Amino acid sequence: MKKKVLISDPTLRDGNHAVAHQLSAKQIESYSIAAEAAKIPIVEVGHGNGLGASSLQVGLAAISDREMLETARKHLVHSKLGIHVIPGFATINKDLKIAIEIGVDLVRVASHCTEADLTQRHISFAREKGKEVYGVLMMSHLASPELLVEEAQKMESYGAEAIIIMDSAGAYLPSDVTERIEALVNALSIPVGFHGHNNLGFAIGNSTAAIDAGATIIDATARGFGAGAGNTQLEVLVAVLDKLGFETGIDFYKLLDASDLAEKEIMKIVPTISSTSIVSGLSGVFSAFNKPVERISKLYGVDSRDVFFELGRRKIIAGQEDLIIEVASNLSKYPQKVK
Amino acid sequence: MISKLIELIEADCDQILLESYGLLKPIQNQHILITGGTGFIGTWIAELVSYLNKNYNFNTRLTLLARNADAILIKPTSLGRQKNIILKSKDVRNIIDLDSDINYIIHAAANPDNREHSTNPLRVIDTIVHGTSALLEKSTLLGGLNKILNISSGMVYGSQPHELNSIPETYIGKVDCSQINSIYAESKRMGETICAAYRTQHRLEIVNARPFAFIGPYQLIEKPWAINNFIRDSLMGGPIRILGNGDTVRSYMYGSEMAFWMLRILISGKSGHNYNVGSPHPISLKDLALKVSNNFSPLPAILSRNGAESDATHSKFIPNVDIAKKDLGLEIKIDVDDALRKTIEWNKLLV
Amino acid sequence: MKSNQKLKVAIIGSGNIGTDLLIKIMRSELLECTYFVGRNFSSPGISKASSMGIRVSDQSIDAIVREPDCCDLIFDATSAKDATYHWSILKPLGKIVIDMTPAKLGIMCIPAVNLEDALKEQNINMVTCGGQASSPIAYVIGQFVKDIEYVEVVSSIASRSAGPATRINLDEYIETTEAAVKKFSEAKETKAILNLNPAVPCVDMQTTIFARTTQPDMDALKKEINKMVAKIAGYVPGYSLLVEPIYEHGRIAVLVKVQGLGDYLPKFAGNLDIINCAAIEVAEAYAKKLAVKNSVVHH
Repeated sequence: MKKKVLISDPTLRDGNHAVAHQLSAKQIESYSIAAEAAKIPIVEVGHGNGLGASSLQVGLAAISDREMLETARKHLVHSKLGIHVIPGFATINKDLKIAIEIGVDLVRVASHCTEADLTQRHISFAREKGKEVYGVLMMSHLASPELLVEEAQKMESYGAEAIIIMDSAGAYLPSDVTERIEALVNALSIPVGFHGHNNLGFAIGNSTAAIDAGATIIDATARGFGAGAGNTQLEVLVAVLDKLGFETGIDFYKLLDASDLAEKEIMKIVPTISSTSIVSGLSGVFSAFNKPVERISKLYGVDSRDVFFELGRRKIIAGQEDLIIEVASNLSKYPQKVK
Repeated sequence: MISKLIELIEADCDQILLESYGLLKPIQNQHILITGGTGFIGTWIAELVSYLNKNYNFNTRLTLLARNADAILIKPTSLGRQKNIILKSKDVRNIIDLDSDINYIIHAAANPDNREHSTNPLRVIDTIVHGTSALLEKSTLLGGLNKILNISSGMVYGSQPHELNSIPETYIGKVDCSQINSIYAESKRMGETICAAYRTQHRLEIVNARPFAFIGPYQLIEKPWAINNFIRDSLMGGPIRILGNGDTVRSYMYGSEMAFWMLRILISGKSGHNYNVGSPHPISLKDLALKVSNNFSPLPAILSRNGAESDATHSKFIPNVDIAKKDLGLEIKIDVDDALRKTIEWNKLLV
Repeated sequence: MKSNQKLKVAIIGSGNIGTDLLIKIMRSELLECTYFVGRNFSSPGISKASSMGIRVSDQSIDAIVREPDCCDLIFDATSAKDATYHWSILKPLGKIVIDMTPAKLGIMCIPAVNLEDALKEQNINMVTCGGQASSPIAYVIGQFVKDIEYVEVVSSIASRSAGPATRINLDEYIETTEAAVKKFSEAKETKAILNLNPAVPCVDMQTTIFARTTQPDMDALKKEINKMVAKIAGYVPGYSLLVEPIYEHGRIAVLVKVQGLGDYLPKFAGNLDIINCAAIEVAEAYAKKLAVKNSVVHH
């Protein structure tokens, strides 16, 4: 009896970070069809920062949440349609209600790793509407294993049916993942999952470490299409899992086709670990900051790498992109050798 | 006479701080509030801080809060007359204001005297539960607060199970909540729970210390603990009377060492973590009585009154302090012989 | 102003907001707190008020109903539900109510922008922290750039300054802030975002106001913004520009910081301080208005 791993694919959500949230309806349609054919269990769709996040702060999306979700919904029959929801960006009345009316299957409510109590109302609302709900802890490298357990337990008490921890900055080494996943698996009675990023080249290794430690849900994207250096590469992960004796229910050839299609049609470049990505991974800054950091650093005439390290030192979290302006401005006025 | 007593304490502080004072640097120029500040724990910590101020220019300010803070003025110490040490007479349950510049809090306001636990259990509960809540509530208003050290108790474990050689922090304890002799333990357990709630709801950084048994100057010899009894009996010429089973095993940490451990835990202990504070070196009451007697000339006799064999006898109560060692590099440097010798010397001078 | 001419005010709600308001009122030359009421004598706020010699009661609104002449203006620092109930009693009594809750019963007031209008109303609500910090700037931008399409405000506050009430009412905070920014900027569409950052030492409140526009005359706009910042700093001393306003990537960006006074709440809780400072500003303006009305002018 092979052990199962549930794959959740945010190519059409995290991937949106890589194209400044400009995925078109056509692109969403193409990939959704391919993902459905490959039997990918969960397909997550939306702006990079989730529902209701289209903004000047993190970037305006090319199309509305409604259009993204309705497009995907048409083509996902056996695959579940998932959304990423951050309270503080998405409200129940304006955003979540509509997404649920459109017919999403899975609602993943996310908060910064120390602020789980912000998710109480959104999780409760989605559960009351009969939807499947996961809790997600972002930037989880900024909390100790014990603290993550406490926050995860809060989400569990609100009705989350699984907890995913994200390595939003791509900052983890495998041992970091092991100790956190182990702690969570021991403390929770619901499944635990892991969402990796590849800034330090460890996305696959971290994902297998997570599985070894008891995680049963892993996020991965086609070609690793996603923020910064990209996510765990889906087709590589599925191949590795197969070699390790795990079952994902995914049709391997059709998966490869889907990734080929994704490379051709939805990404401008295939993710690589750029210098900026290494710096953001090392400094523990949210992977998706790279575009605004580059742009604003240029504007103020400072080294973007210094800006990253300063953002990391100040422990700036996802959603605080406006502070890049402050940091860059200060560095331009008071230059200092940061690293 | 007081000057000689002060010298002894200073020698103790020097011994414990000479090589390790650097580890306490984060409290330089900081303001520390100690509730229950005139008790055994508060007084010893104040002595260490006072020594750091005098000899290493730490410039640390202390506020000692106690129902009757002036009690320190009658103790044989110079603590009551120092510019960096403020005495505040206030019941921790009724605090209205905390100085907004407080950086650290050591919450030691509770009475470990089990005579009080028997006679006035309601006050014991109220002081610990209400006092802890009131203090933490006020702490939420402090913008520059770095950490709170909650002085809990080794009693939260209940009695030590036979299968354990020493009690690690991971042992969750067994206390019968409806028994009156559990009142102190249950109150301290509730104190820890209140700390956990404030930690998660108000994002306060709180670390827990679970003290076991201490000896040293400033401990009232009249308190009815075995070791105090032995010393008191000896000071009065003997005989030393061992009540109960002489095979009962305990361990003892000296006051100066305890104070250093507490400051180190305050500064570098991880929020949400528990640290046992005490000596891991077991000693039977029989052997303890012998060691005490060896400090006196002529040698006092030792009388053993064996009670009936029961669960209360053969009991062990020893902390496992591996975590303190692993996380904070803390080790016992003063063995029980030295601890006894110093305590007895001080008490002899006091008489 | 002689003390017998101070406006008599009461505070309902003895939590942190009410207590901080009390300390600010005690500094005011125009206001006198005649009653500080809550529901529980053991609340820390009541003890604090009592220790400062202020008259207290644990009878909440009933204390005022029994002695309606004790005050002319009331700060309601309870909850949206309670404030709504209190208003049903205080309105017929003719009392002026400054509502610190999200009840939104009366006019939204941003002192730097619409103080005069607010003084015509009996119930004035103080919006939200993000609303107080951003609306004046949004107003300036809206006046400068006519027919503005879209304004967005993002606030970051310290985790420690956001209690359970703030967290459970996050959506209401967003909706109220968006409504305020829309009203004062006259933008077609608005968005509000809130971030809670747990970093220690605790971060001061920061708010960024974005407006989607074509390149404006930034020098002229900066002059207007500076004027407005100075106006706000007149009643919120800890309010300042963090960076020189810029135009980049198709948006105007104005970053402001609010450091609290540290009266009762910690200094990093600028988010709570700004609403209280704004509320005091409204009350003092009312005091001046009523004093003028009541004074006998001999020519």
